[in-house]
Amino acid sequence: MTDLTCQQVEALLPAIAGGDAGEHAAAIAAHLAGCAACRQAAAVQVTARAVLRARAAHLSVPAPPGLRTRAEAQLRGSRDRDALGWRGRFSAFAAAALIVMVIGSIALPVLTARSTVLLAAQLALDHLKCFAIDGDAGDAHITKPEAEATLTREYGFTISVPDRNPEEGIRLVAVRRCLYGDGRAAHLLYLVDGTQVSLFIMPGLDRPAAELNVFDHDQIVWNDVHNTYMLVGRSGRRGWLQDVASRLRNEGK
Amino acid sequence: MVFGRGRAETEAGAADEFSAAALELLDAIYGAALRLTRRPDQAQDLVQDTYLKAIRARRSFTAGTNLKAWLYTILHNTWRNQRRDGARARVEFDSDIVERAAEGADRVFAPQVESPETLLLRETIDPELQAALDALPESFREAVWLRDVEELTYQEIADALGIPIGTVMSRLSRGRKQLYEALTRSPKSP
Repeated sequence: MTDLTCQQVEALLPAIAGGDAGEHAAAIAAHLAGCAACRQAAAVQVTARAVLRARAAHLSVPAPPGLRTRAEAQLRGSRDRDALGWRGRFSAFAAAALIVMVIGSIALPVLTARSTVLLAAQLALDHLKCFAIDGDAGDAHITKPEAEATLTREYGFTISVPDRNPEEGIRLVAVRRCLYGDGRAAHLLYLVDGTQVSLFIMPGLDRPAAELNVFDHDQIVWNDVHNTYMLVGRSGRRGWLQDVASRLRNEGK
Repeated sequence: MVFGRGRAETEAGAADEFSAAALELLDAIYGAALRLTRRPDQAQDLVQDTYLKAIRARRSFTAGTNLKAWLYTILHNTWRNQRRDGARARVEFDSDIVERAAEGADRVFAPQVESPETLLLRETIDPELQAALDALPESFREAVWLRDVEELTYQEIADALGIPIGTVMSRLSRGRKQLYEALTRSPKSP
């Protein structure tokens, strides 16, 4: 058996506490028997690990039900996409969206503060990303009170959420929080006549009204004294999106 | 959890097996995310991003290896990238600087070591332990959490964090020591 130095024992302290010192066990025991400082250091390790192990179950917090639902939807969506085969997985749109998201994730967060165009680009990415995660809502509809309560409880937003009767063709299917260059945005995911539309509400942000077309999406921007709003939908139906914006603006006041 | 020991018959079967195993680990991954971010809303976002990336990278997961360690690797890298890229990144009491600073103090010990039983008898041990963990530098907190709560092996932790095993051991040792000191410094100490 080789004698160990205090430095060598110190390097093995975590293993001593875990009871997995292996081939060194005998040499460590011999050293500890004759070295009070190392004995004390080992006792600290053993105590800390024992307390953590004993309370491990109490330290862990279960995932919130909403998060579990979203994770299930993500995984289910993945399985369904797999079932489409490679032609479906590698459609031109998916490839374009992926490129946009990759480029955007690298460059846009630091740039969105500088222009509404870049903000529109960032939110177009979030529109794609969040619908990929939460868009599979079946027939679910979130009411205005439920949405506002969720935004307050989970994300700390106190905002008025537009809502329409689902029978009118506007259905709120999910609420999320997204980050952009200037702060946080409440993200409301709607299905309007079956088409995916996002309304982003940015408390405290003052941007002028505008209409844009960025990253193959139309964006309509308006504001009130408290918030800036940006409505995002796929390109090609500007008039229709303006109508949706008009309906949501009236309802949101 | 070791996932994929039995060979899935089909691609769909493999996807189902992966999904079920990943969902089973959601609490553990959320717990680790919460320990990293210390904020429930950020932890939820981090877990969703982690699962999104895991789904995309599913085919790169090696059957028979530890899925929890694999998911934690994605979680760790996602968090690191978010902190690096985002405005939320701050100067943390972290990394090698902390480890070197801790170097000199490592051999100074309280005259008597409290036993686990004494500490565990405290009624407030759980909140005290939470607070002590949250007060650790992030690199120490990760190592302690993964080893002593999640029971990952040293090698799995080294792979997840992208550091040598020796560094894992060092962070673990210093993290436990700081944790112990925080608990015994507490005014509730008998």
